[in-house]
Amino acid sequence: MRSLRIVADLLQTGSAREIDAALLARRRWITTTFVVLGILILFVAAGVTTPVFLTFQNLLVVIRNASITGIIALGMSYVTISGNLFALSAEELSILSACIFGWLLRAKFGLATSLLVTLVGAGCGGAVQGGIIALGADPIITTLAFGGFFRGVASVVSGNQNILLGTHAAQWLGTGRPLGVPTQSWAFVILTLLAWFVLQKTRIGRLVVLTGANRAAATAAALRVGQGALIGMVLLGVCCGIAGISAPAQFGYAVANLYQGLNFDVIAAILVGGIALRGGQGSPIQAALGAIFISLLENFMLLHDFTTGFRTTVVGALVAAATCLFHVLQRSRA
Amino acid sequence: MDNNPTAAGAVVLRMRGIVKRYAAVAALQGVDFTLLRGEVMALLGENGAGKSTLVKILAGLERPDAGTIEINGQVIRLRTPTHSLQAGVAYVTQELSIVAPLSVAENICLGGGGRSAIWTSRQLADQVRPFLALVGLDKIDPTTPAGSLSVAQQQLVEIARLLSRNARILILDEPTAALSDAEIEKVKLVVRNLAAEGRSIIYVTHRLGEVFEIADRVTIFRNGRSFEPVRVAGLDIDELIEHLLGRRLEQMFPPRSAGFGPVLLSLHDVVAPGLVKPVSLDLHEGEIFCLAGQLGSGANAVVRAIAGVVPRDAGSITLRTTPQRPRSVRDAISVKIGYCSDDRKRDGIFAVRNLYENLTAPALRRITVAGLLSRKREVAISTKLAQLFEIAADRLGSSAGKLSGGNQQKVALGKWLAIEPSVLLVEEPTRGVDVGARAEIYRHLRTLANRGLAIMVVSSDNQEVLGLADTVATFFRGRLVRIAGANTLKAEELFRDVTHPGDAAAGGIT
Amino acid sequence: MNRREMLIDLGVRAGFMLVIYLVFAVQLPNYHSAAGFAALLDSAVLFGVVSVGVGISMIAGEFDLSVGSLAALTGVIVIQIVGIGVLPALILGVLFAAVIGSLQGLVIGLLGINSLVFTIGTLIGLRGVALLVSHENSVSMPIPLLSETDFFTERFLRVLSPLSVGMVVVFVAFGLFLRFTRWGREIYAIGGGRSEARAAGVPLLRPMVIAFTCSGALAGLGGAALSLRLGSASPLGFETLLIAAVTTCLLGGIGLDGGVGNVVGIAIGLFTLRFLIIGVASMGAPYYVQNLAGGALLIFVIVVQLLATRYRLRSVRKRLSASVG
Repeated sequence: MRSLRIVADLLQTGSAREIDAALLARRRWITTTFVVLGILILFVAAGVTTPVFLTFQNLLVVIRNASITGIIALGMSYVTISGNLFALSAEELSILSACIFGWLLRAKFGLATSLLVTLVGAGCGGAVQGGIIALGADPIITTLAFGGFFRGVASVVSGNQNILLGTHAAQWLGTGRPLGVPTQSWAFVILTLLAWFVLQKTRIGRLVVLTGANRAAATAAALRVGQGALIGMVLLGVCCGIAGISAPAQFGYAVANLYQGLNFDVIAAILVGGIALRGGQGSPIQAALGAIFISLLENFMLLHDFTTGFRTTVVGALVAAATCLFHVLQRSRA
Repeated sequence: MDNNPTAAGAVVLRMRGIVKRYAAVAALQGVDFTLLRGEVMALLGENGAGKSTLVKILAGLERPDAGTIEINGQVIRLRTPTHSLQAGVAYVTQELSIVAPLSVAENICLGGGGRSAIWTSRQLADQVRPFLALVGLDKIDPTTPAGSLSVAQQQLVEIARLLSRNARILILDEPTAALSDAEIEKVKLVVRNLAAEGRSIIYVTHRLGEVFEIADRVTIFRNGRSFEPVRVAGLDIDELIEHLLGRRLEQMFPPRSAGFGPVLLSLHDVVAPGLVKPVSLDLHEGEIFCLAGQLGSGANAVVRAIAGVVPRDAGSITLRTTPQRPRSVRDAISVKIGYCSDDRKRDGIFAVRNLYENLTAPALRRITVAGLLSRKREVAISTKLAQLFEIAADRLGSSAGKLSGGNQQKVALGKWLAIEPSVLLVEEPTRGVDVGARAEIYRHLRTLANRGLAIMVVSSDNQEVLGLADTVATFFRGRLVRIAGANTLKAEELFRDVTHPGDAAAGGIT
Repeated sequence: MNRREMLIDLGVRAGFMLVIYLVFAVQLPNYHSAAGFAALLDSAVLFGVVSVGVGISMIAGEFDLSVGSLAALTGVIVIQIVGIGVLPALILGVLFAAVIGSLQGLVIGLLGINSLVFTIGTLIGLRGVALLVSHENSVSMPIPLLSETDFFTERFLRVLSPLSVGMVVVFVAFGLFLRFTRWGREIYAIGGGRSEARAAGVPLLRPMVIAFTCSGALAGLGGAALSLRLGSASPLGFETLLIAAVTTCLLGGIGLDGGVGNVVGIAIGLFTLRFLIIGVASMGAPYYVQNLAGGALLIFVIVVQLLATRYRLRSVRKRLSASVG
């Protein structure tokens, strides 16, 4: 009833005067509950309709994919929360990181050095984008441009061929399963906790949140809003680096067409997880849950022999629909 | 009065018994208003007296709770701005609807229906020339991009557009607030021309001088009621001021302080965008210093220059004995000067975040220990500030956007206490705040002053200035008119200073 | 900016284009042969046509990121229905793309949604539909019909072909539309100041739908024409179309904020980019280096525009504070 009164108010005066406390406060719980429910439903549906789903092999694949998507979604969540919508270069930066890692290993630089250089390089890739965005450039166009650039560089580095690592040094990283859980998932879980902690409990995290919540107010409160944009992009860069290392580590080679469709999966994960596009709200955990849901959905569709086309269309429709839905919901509350 | 709508002097607009309530407050309590053909009617009244509400109803931006509106003898319902426009009512505000990259001609023609599909520059130019002539812009090339015109010219283009849409009733809301002397003369000329043409103009202003120069009649608003319109000719300005001053609740204001401490902040010959003449004043510890002025007076330029929000073009600002050169808000905060703007929705509050985060935003470092946020400190500071500003403790967890206007203003203002400022600069501290919360905010400001804080308030609400201030500086059109202690300043003097200072202290202002 | 400033701006951009041209012309002999020009023009058709569409959506203050996917989808559809005749297939394809574009415009306009984010969704979705429609494979025209597309490769006046003539027609037609019709100016209005335009009474939905219909139709036209000329279409094609179109528009003076720009600028930007890409290709660089060059150029243009805007803001602020009162 209260919501009806608000809507009536809205229609009459063109502005809702007092917004229901409970509604807004419960919103985060509502979306999180929905996502968790969705995950459970998908899990059960998949298990029931395709026996292959519950096999060990398949579950491993799902968990690994969810971890990769999730790691990048964590970085992307910082970008969205800081008010910069999305970065369209996550997939390409991961590919580039993979190729650089592969190239370094093949050139006998040793695991530690290769890891360090790749991660630092990926962070720098994020930093450059973040710097330009902090100066005021449009985040989506900038990252679109860098995406093309990174892809091109990756092609150059790999000579557009497979880079065979030629060493088993990274194999444990890619295929190891301490305590039965894949390394990627360890990374995912640790990063999720870390991302949540930094956002909730550190000054830098608060800066990111306030910058996204109201940039003008943050500037008026003497907060360095440029840093907010930068931090998000650097974190995303590092996440892309980590994710990028995974495939070559696991399969022993790197090539410039890995991680197809990753950008889309990550964007869908953010939206499905319920992080508001206007920024200033949300938690990395929502992004993590969204990534799990998307990966489950992709796996479900794959196991049901849905073609690539169908799967892609579903993800696209999901993104478009989620955008519309959140926009409408936000407007009725603003 | 003729009922033939085409005769000069006929009643072109009649509003009867207009009532408008906002929550418990009656903004308009049964107002009657008539407008004759070819006349310029001035609307006068203090903030909150009801004139802006009436105007908004006429413009279709608000709907009355009761009452009728007749235009040219026909009862009409103005539900939306489009309805108003169709009825021939045009509303020109401070917020111009000029699209900068488009040409003057395109700005005038766009949005009007029923023109041909093919547009050439020549065709458009020919179409708009008569209207440009009407507003005195006949020398302007219609193909000039509208963004390159001055604000005054853009305002005239906007009027030209409305004229081309056949506006017969024009409402001009503070049209001269941002204009230079020459430009104001032009506006006056345009208004007279339009009236001579048979259009009717409602001229909302605080500048009494202009009322005497342009208007035929004036309607005064006070406390939600309007008085019988008076012919301007033969009106005495003192009479006018007496009519306008109402008596409000004086219990709203806490008692003034007995005395203040030493000089804390000194301005010497400061000039900033919005000020025409240099300003010098001293602010003491424990003092509430009000800068009184209406729209376009330049009062807010003073605090913005101190806060580093606008550049200081000349003069010096001294804090204790150290000269200050604030180039940004960060500079001001680093010397413990807090600045709260007049638009809390834009940059005063983080609507989607809770009060703990809002109240500690300018002082993150105080709640940070080794890079980590200390929840304990955050809660401590927020609770203390909430207590100080009488915000219910159980509201601290809710989003700032859900609070009432008064509570939001308390948050916007209160968060500056987190930096433990020695100077607090506030613009319009009670804009959009209900009476109860206003009294609380005044009380809090006085408490802070009594603790030694130096507070500078910019306000266009004369009652607020008289009740709250220890010292008052009045501003009019970019000039400081006078500085006086509040207990020696009479209400009529304050009012005259901000609307029509004669040969007062600043010498020869009209 | 007024007419004089606009001419100067276009002149500077044309100058930049000539510099790029000369840099390569001195090194490559066939860069200025008639055959070379013909090839250049033909290769420019796709990008030119699509850039006009993207440019229109940018002038409206919006963005259509889905042009690449829509081009691929239209190409795939057209090849599969080419049995009804080359020209009818082309027309149907363009109509289909126009409808998709107008639907996007409707949703974005009615809901007031961020077009940047929404078209990410359609970018994904349409690509998926392209894969579906083509059954995951490239599709080719049946061999007997291939000869019907021969006329695409005819030459007039040594350098022109039906495709490049078509591109010129597109530029002229849309240029006239933007400049001389009320609907065209409305598109500039909603881009130049959305809330101001609305306050002035400009209907928001019509120019929005028109803008997206244009970008959709032109994306479809580009995809269909190229696929017909090649005789085949891939559902994964036109991946680099978006970046190229955005770069072309930015190079041509279409501001990211909207409300400024014209087709002459787009043409200049088109040839600037083409000279660069073809120059790089002619020097023996593999195709992925071309993509790198394209991305790098876009970054360069973004940074230059950014710095120019900041400089302009700073000088405006100085001017404001100088003229006190």
